[in-house]
Amino acid sequence: MHLLTGFILALLVSALLRATIPERPLLAAILPAVAAAGLLAFFASELLSMEFWAGGVGFVAILSALLVVMHPNPMVSVLFLILHLFCIALFYLMLQAQALAALQVIVYAGAIMVLFVFVIMLLNLRAEEGLRLGGGVQRIGALSVGALFAGLMFWAIRNRRDHPFFAPDALVEGFGTARQLGWLLYGKYLFAFEAASILLLAAMVGAVVLAKRRLQ
Amino acid sequence: MIRVEFFLVMGALLFTIGCVGVLIRRNIIVMLMSIEVMLNAVNLTFVAFAREGQSMTGQIVVFFVMTVAAAEAAVGLAIVIALFRRRRTTDADDASLMRW
Repeated sequence: MHLLTGFILALLVSALLRATIPERPLLAAILPAVAAAGLLAFFASELLSMEFWAGGVGFVAILSALLVVMHPNPMVSVLFLILHLFCIALFYLMLQAQALAALQVIVYAGAIMVLFVFVIMLLNLRAEEGLRLGGGVQRIGALSVGALFAGLMFWAIRNRRDHPFFAPDALVEGFGTARQLGWLLYGKYLFAFEAASILLLAAMVGAVVLAKRRLQ
Repeated sequence: MIRVEFFLVMGALLFTIGCVGVLIRRNIIVMLMSIEVMLNAVNLTFVAFAREGQSMTGQIVVFFVMTVAAAEAAVGLAIVIALFRRRRTTDADDASLMRW
C-alpha cells in the first residue's frame, strides 16, 4: 500500500506544480516531488517505508523513460535517460546490489551518456530534425505491439507461483559487494571476463575506424 | 519488504517503453537510447532475480550486459557519425539503400 502511495504522491505533486509553474515545466515537475518527499521524511519518518520510496523512484523511472522516448529534442532525451539511469541505480541499491549501483552510475551514466552527448553536440542535432516521429500506421502498429507485449509480460508475472516474498535473512555475508563480484569475475567467470575485454578492444578499434576521417 | 513482482513489473514496463521507442522514433540516436532503456530493464530483472534467488550470478550477468551495452553504444554512435558525414541526416528512414 505504501508503494502505491509513493507512486501516486509523486505523480500528484509533479502534475500540480507543472500546472502552476508553466514557464519552467521540468523544474516544476521534479523539484516539488523531491521537496514533498523530503518534507514527509522530516515530519513523518515512520510513514516512509522502503515501499514508499520504491514507488516514488519507480514513478520517476517510468516518467523519464517515457520522456526519453517521446521528447522531440534528442538532447533532452539524453538528459532524461541520465535521470532514468540514476533511478535504476537506486533500484539496484534497494535490491542489495551496491557494487552494481556504483558501476551503473560510473559506467552507464558517466561514460556511455557522455558519449551520447558528445555525438549529439558533434552532429549539432536540433529539435526540428528529431521531431519526425513515425507515420500514422507505424505508430498504431508500434503501440498495439507494445500493449500486447506488456499484457503478455504482466500475465506471465501474475502467474508466477514459486517465491512470492523475499527471504531477508538468507543472504550470504557481503552479498552485492565488489568483493563478491571480484571473486566471481576472476574465479568462476574468468573466461567471460577476458572475452569481454577482447570485445571492448574490438569495439574500440571499430569505433575509431568508423568515425575517422578519410585519409587524404 | 518489497515484493519481487514490483521490480519484475517495473522491468517489463520499462522494456515495453523502450521497445515502443525503437519502433516509433526515426532519429537513430533516440533509437539507440531506447535500446539502452531496454537493456536497463533487462538488467533490473536480472538483479531482482539475483536478490530473490540469493545468487550473485544475476549480478555478474548484469556486469557483462553493461559491458556489451557500452561496446554497442560506442560502435553504434560511430556508425551514426559515419552515416551523418555522408548523408547529413540522422533519419533512419533515409538510410534505405538496401530496402526492396
